[in-house]
Amino acid sequence: MNVASKLPNSPAALASQPLPSDKPPFLGFGLGLRADHYTEILEGNPPIDWFEIISENYMLPGGQPLRMLDRIRERYPIVMHGVSMSIASTAPPDFEYLQALRELAKRVEPKWISDHLCWTGVHGKNLHDLLPIPYTQEALDHVVSRVHLVQDYLGRPLVMENASTYVQFNNSDMTEWEFIAELTRRTGCWLLFDVNNVYVSAFNHGYDPHTFLAGIPEDRVVQFHMAGHSHMGTHIVDTHDHPVCEDVWDLYAAALKRFGHVSTMIERDDNIPPLDELLLEVNRTREIAGRVLPPFRQA
Amino acid sequence: MSDFARQQSDFQRGILAGDDTVLAEILDSPREKREALFGVYRYAYVARLVEAMGKDHELLHLYLGDEMFDEMGRAYVAANPSRNPNLRWFSQALPDFLKSTAPYSDHPVLSDLAALEKALNDAFDAPDAPVLGLADMAGFAPEAWAGLTFAAHPSAIRLDLSTNASAIWLALKGEETPPDAISLAEPCRLLIWRQDVTPMFRELTTEEAMMWDEAAGGIAFGVLCSMLATYDDPDGAAARGAGYLHGWISTGLLTGVYADH
Repeated sequence: MNVASKLPNSPAALASQPLPSDKPPFLGFGLGLRADHYTEILEGNPPIDWFEIISENYMLPGGQPLRMLDRIRERYPIVMHGVSMSIASTAPPDFEYLQALRELAKRVEPKWISDHLCWTGVHGKNLHDLLPIPYTQEALDHVVSRVHLVQDYLGRPLVMENASTYVQFNNSDMTEWEFIAELTRRTGCWLLFDVNNVYVSAFNHGYDPHTFLAGIPEDRVVQFHMAGHSHMGTHIVDTHDHPVCEDVWDLYAAALKRFGHVSTMIERDDNIPPLDELLLEVNRTREIAGRVLPPFRQA
Repeated sequence: MSDFARQQSDFQRGILAGDDTVLAEILDSPREKREALFGVYRYAYVARLVEAMGKDHELLHLYLGDEMFDEMGRAYVAANPSRNPNLRWFSQALPDFLKSTAPYSDHPVLSDLAALEKALNDAFDAPDAPVLGLADMAGFAPEAWAGLTFAAHPSAIRLDLSTNASAIWLALKGEETPPDAISLAEPCRLLIWRQDVTPMFRELTTEEAMMWDEAAGGIAFGVLCSMLATYDDPDGAAARGAGYLHGWISTGLLTGVYADH
């Protein structure tokens, strides 16, 4: 008997496993929750449909951050977004991290949990960056097995986000969008389509962002990120410290046309302005969706 | 080792150690050379970590100024690669680094200032726990008091500083010119904790610091009073002990009281 073929992550077992089909709900138009805005949110109940948290900011023993989060989640749906899962790392997964993530999810009861298609370090070190991968069959097989493992560990499908990248590897034998399409097909993970990251990577690598858009399966995207970046002339750096630029707004409209009603949020991580200023951007995501799409109807 | 694993190793070494091996596997973009594009990762690695240190140590940053803080931060990053997925814990070894690494070790106030900021950060997100109130003490008969033991709130941290770093911290926080750094003949004994959601610190007398350390270690109130009696007027020891205890309870420093069993 071939024991390996009976293991849960063997290719044979994966091929026979049904894909998760419960698509996460459409939440509307949201914002990344940042500590600068706690008081305004709790005192003003701003018209924001949902909040995304950076999971690591709440993977803490206790104190004010968790207390604020408990209060905000009583009023708004919450989505958990991580930066340290390192799903594509060839090092063994950090199970201590995954356990803390699972514990936080028990407390927060998020609508979904997302992280990036990237790695953050090997050999026990963490570079705290979203590092790029080659788009090869070997890398795909590796990431597929890791996504399956983490989904089994967390007991829920993951939502995987495309990262901004600055380099491409000469051994890639498929495009990023082909890689992502295969990843979602083989694992059943959902996709967080970061509109800004597509724009940034497309500029940096010299392809048309609409080609990327057309290569992503229509029915697998459950979230959009919208953010600003820093243009360096020859390349763009994904800094999340500026308002969303006009080109990215245009790409957002195109993404809505392809993917339909997708939960959308403004992601600002640095140079954080007052909440009112970000509300203008949240409202703009809502207005564009209202213009591009028919009204949303619950299935 | 697989190709993928080897490539990640090379990529990481390229960022951490400046090794260019991985460049042979990276493409130029239509507009930029691979060296410059890979440089984005090299630059971001150090910049992100030093920025995180600056957020954890705002007043040390203010005290040193941008240029010196940046130089110190780069030295720390080089000596302490992050091993925790959460950036929150990256600066934890900074007080030890400053204490043991020249030229910073020549200025003990830097390590003390970093230790105070670290303690305040640690108190900020320390575990939650119930807070003992004065009413909780009312149920104990006078004869039970000698046997009472106490549990410190999990956010409480004791720190002995050899310099006037706490006075410098207060001045910087108040946007005033800090006093010159001096080494103290007797250590400055601080208690740092979180009251509701706000990190606090205050200076303790030698006597109160002794009582706190022993009470937090589980020594019963009666014994604590006997210990106080060796520090100052023996007749007033019980009253002083009760006074310290009252202060701790009314500022949220204790989480439990237990009767002798």
